[in-house]
Amino acid sequence: MISQFFVLSQRGDNIVFRDYRGEVSKGSAEIFFRKVKFWKEDGEEEAPPVFNVDSVNYFHVKVAGLLFVATTRGNVSPSLVLELLQRIARVIKDYLGVLNEDSLRKNFVLVYELLDEVIDFGYVQTTSTEVLKSYVFNEPIMVDAARLPSLGAAAIFMQGTKKMPGTAVTKSVVANEPGGRKREEIFVDIIEKISVTFSSSGYILTSEIDGTIQMKSYLTGNPEIRLALNEDLSIGRGGRSIYDYTSSAGGGSVMLDDCNFHESVHLDSFDIDRTLNLVPPDGEFTVMNYRMTQEFRPPFRINALIEEAGPLKAEVILKIRADFSSTITANTVFVQMPVPAYTTRVSFELEPGAVGNTTDFKEANKRLEWGLKKIVGGSEHTLRAKLTFSQESHANITREAGPVSMTFTIPMYNASRLQVRYLQIAKKSKTYNPYRWVRYVTQANSYVARI
Amino acid sequence: MAPPAQSQRSQSPSQPSGKGEVSDLKVQLRQLAGSRAPGTDDSKRELFKKVISYMTVGIDVSSLFSEMVMCSATSDIVLKKMCYLYVGNYAKGNPDLALLTINFLQKDCRDEDPMIRGLALRSLCSLRVENLVEYLVGPLGSGLQDHNSYVRMVAAIGVLKLYHISSSSCIDADFPSALKALMLNDPDAQVVANCLSALQEIWSLEASTSEEASREREALLSKPVIYYFLNRIKDFSEWAQCLVLDLVGKYVPSDSSEIFDIMNLLEDRLQHANGAVVLATIKVFLHLTLSMTDVHQQVYERIKAPLLTLVSSGSQELSYAVLSHLHLLVMRAPILFSSDYKHFYCQYNEPSYVKKLKLEMLTAVANESNTYEIVTELCEYVANIDVSIARESIHAVGKIALQQYDVNAIVDRLLQFLEMEKDYVTAETLVLVKDLLRKYPQWSHDCIAVVGNISSKNVQEPKAKAALIWMLGEYSLDMSDAPYILESLVENWEDEHSAEVRLHLLTAVLKCFLRRPPETQKALGAALAAGLADSHQDVHDRALFYYRLLQYNVSVAERVVNPPKQAVSVFADTQSSEIKDRIFDEFNSLSVLYQKVLSL
Repeated sequence: MISQFFVLSQRGDNIVFRDYRGEVSKGSAEIFFRKVKFWKEDGEEEAPPVFNVDSVNYFHVKVAGLLFVATTRGNVSPSLVLELLQRIARVIKDYLGVLNEDSLRKNFVLVYELLDEVIDFGYVQTTSTEVLKSYVFNEPIMVDAARLPSLGAAAIFMQGTKKMPGTAVTKSVVANEPGGRKREEIFVDIIEKISVTFSSSGYILTSEIDGTIQMKSYLTGNPEIRLALNEDLSIGRGGRSIYDYTSSAGGGSVMLDDCNFHESVHLDSFDIDRTLNLVPPDGEFTVMNYRMTQEFRPPFRINALIEEAGPLKAEVILKIRADFSSTITANTVFVQMPVPAYTTRVSFELEPGAVGNTTDFKEANKRLEWGLKKIVGGSEHTLRAKLTFSQESHANITREAGPVSMTFTIPMYNASRLQVRYLQIAKKSKTYNPYRWVRYVTQANSYVARI
Repeated sequence: MAPPAQSQRSQSPSQPSGKGEVSDLKVQLRQLAGSRAPGTDDSKRELFKKVISYMTVGIDVSSLFSEMVMCSATSDIVLKKMCYLYVGNYAKGNPDLALLTINFLQKDCRDEDPMIRGLALRSLCSLRVENLVEYLVGPLGSGLQDHNSYVRMVAAIGVLKLYHISSSSCIDADFPSALKALMLNDPDAQVVANCLSALQEIWSLEASTSEEASREREALLSKPVIYYFLNRIKDFSEWAQCLVLDLVGKYVPSDSSEIFDIMNLLEDRLQHANGAVVLATIKVFLHLTLSMTDVHQQVYERIKAPLLTLVSSGSQELSYAVLSHLHLLVMRAPILFSSDYKHFYCQYNEPSYVKKLKLEMLTAVANESNTYEIVTELCEYVANIDVSIARESIHAVGKIALQQYDVNAIVDRLLQFLEMEKDYVTAETLVLVKDLLRKYPQWSHDCIAVVGNISSKNVQEPKAKAALIWMLGEYSLDMSDAPYILESLVENWEDEHSAEVRLHLLTAVLKCFLRRPPETQKALGAALAAGLADSHQDVHDRALFYYRLLQYNVSVAERVVNPPKQAVSVFADTQSSEIKDRIFDEFNSLSVLYQKVLSL
């Protein structure tokens, strides 16, 4: 059971503070914040999500730059408390549309209302946005979403895809559109995070895709939904039978290592035709999480080279090749590479005609940084950097530099080829035809090339 | 409306201030208290919001108690809720004023709107004032029988609140048996779950003094009750499912067919997107099969994939909680995870507390077939910018070397670390080479050749310096300049701050002297003199001891300081297996994250 729940701003101010059991002193928020801010234990730079100070256990998750914290004296299940904190953040976001310090401060009374119903005397009552609707009476005060830096998974759709109504995903589940009518729509997002490690010879050492299908429903009356995935989707390494195995070896099929599903998903026909049946609850939720270690084509190839170029000098050549269709554009690409600690100066040389590139040498942590606003599929980009050293390097210079790491976002692309074949909404009438948005996006989780 | 605490932003929340604002609020609330003018509720809302926002940032607004209560006569539910929140916060410190609220709360408990009844009952039970409990019993009793499930839900937890304020009134009113009846009969799953939560807490606390309570607590684990919960597990919310699973985890089935029934019933809970449900289910599986070795092992195989999915799908925080549990399982049965080692590779952007767990897992699962790849991977981390991870990685390589038979290649890698010429890498490696030599004396030749090249000036960390000095003493016959290096170290005795290093230096010089007397005599004399004058008691005592030993009989000294050594076969584990078992018993709790036994 939980003793207290509070939300702190980045500066450590209490935005909401709810004491459920009166077992932990009111000064806990301050104790917590000090501990997190000045964390230094066992050489660790960052406080772990759970720690104990004077026999009080502190749990925290970071969401949208805010700290969601719970305290307890009991030996509780850590995954339960951490899931709960995450879920509370999501419920609040469902109500406020946008979750950030500003929206939370403007709506703190509403948030107290929610907190009263979510937890009673430390025990979870409900985290269902839908159930909570009947208990919550405050109207959310909207903050201007456009002005704010976008946060959260859905925010990545805001750039680059003109078709998407940008404000839709930041709409509260309870607020009405101007004119009093609610727009009937549903969003299905397939978000994949990919991790790849390339060896120094360009060979793939490890690769994994962690995907999630997220749904956000604004449909009234909660109609039933059918979500059909690839017919040849197989789950579990090696397949369930020999036949599965041979069909997957054919190359076309998608093979997941494992997956899990939201409470509301019925899997009755999943084994037969790979469709998910569900009655989507209000608000945002994860329909399915999946994990895949089957080989896939990495979207980017990285080629990195560091060579000595005379005394106290070296040259770095970084090459990025976009290995996907030219109809697709990756954005917010960012490449970093640590260089030898005795590097004092770096001069960069971009290809002639390069646009939207930024380069930087971060002196403090001895790192090259290369940002590219956009990369069109099929293209190749090169950066040359000349390094100047303060001392002669006697060791092998490649051991002193790298690895190269890369972050990016590629809208309307997914590396696993998992697809939503169709999204069927049970019809209430002939004219009922809600908007459906099925969107794909791929992001780098850990994309690393060793040199 | 001013957003809460905007004006206080720069201040620390712990510093109450704003006295002026509070008295302003008092005046304004007074004006509104009796007013029936249109728009009054809106103005009240604004004022109440201000009060709550002050309360949130830690300003003491308890002086407004009577005004708040006066303003609470309203049908506006938002206002009511704010008022309840306020009252709940300050009643404990102002028991006399709290009495003022009893009247309107009791009235609200009889309201025709179930929402109001529920809210009022919840607030009434949250006052935490002992001399008001007499007003609680009546509304709680009718709350438990309310036809609306929301009110019953609130009442069930309300009983627990009452118990914490005054256990005797709760027991005297016979509420526990009312809860038990409700738990076994109520159609609403959340009411049932709340009854279970409340009863578990009450009976656990009562059990020490009342035999009946401890019998009742046992009865919760009886077959009919467990099956009653299991059969309707899907009616419960995901959180209540965790509660039920926790209960089932304590149940002892009568035979193995029962065990399989329960596992089959709960099998699909392993596919739940909520990690808390999955971990609670895993605990049930692990505990049920503890005595069935084969099935227990199958359970490990079965839960591997869901655990790995949770590690990679949720937020970073949740991933850490799950990974800690996976870590526990890997440490218990490393063989079962030896082919999954790639999942434990570190990613560059992971926080160091995650990397540390992964390094330990990699070390544990290393066996003959995967060692090469694991060690290669670990060597990559040694160049990591994060110094503590680089150190841990070296440590991991060393540990793998200590647990393997074929250490040939690993020793080579360790020796390569020494050539990297990074101080912390050298330091960490030296300590490991020393341990390796204690286990594999046959490697001394290769190691000494490399260690001999290290300048003692580049080694500053006490542990590493002590390791180097130990090797100089132990292998003084193999290192031609050992006496001279030791001599120069003795010359700098005064600058050596670590007593540990000085102790090692004394021993090493003596060892060296016994093997190469003419070359070391001078250093020994200097070391003993410095040791005798040392302000550290242990150093002084050891020097004196050596001095007298040498005076008495050199060959005895030889036997004491340089006895023939046996290779160490196994280094003592830091954690006893008993503690590990007890942590395992507390699977899905903080004990696993802290790696300490917490419960009694």
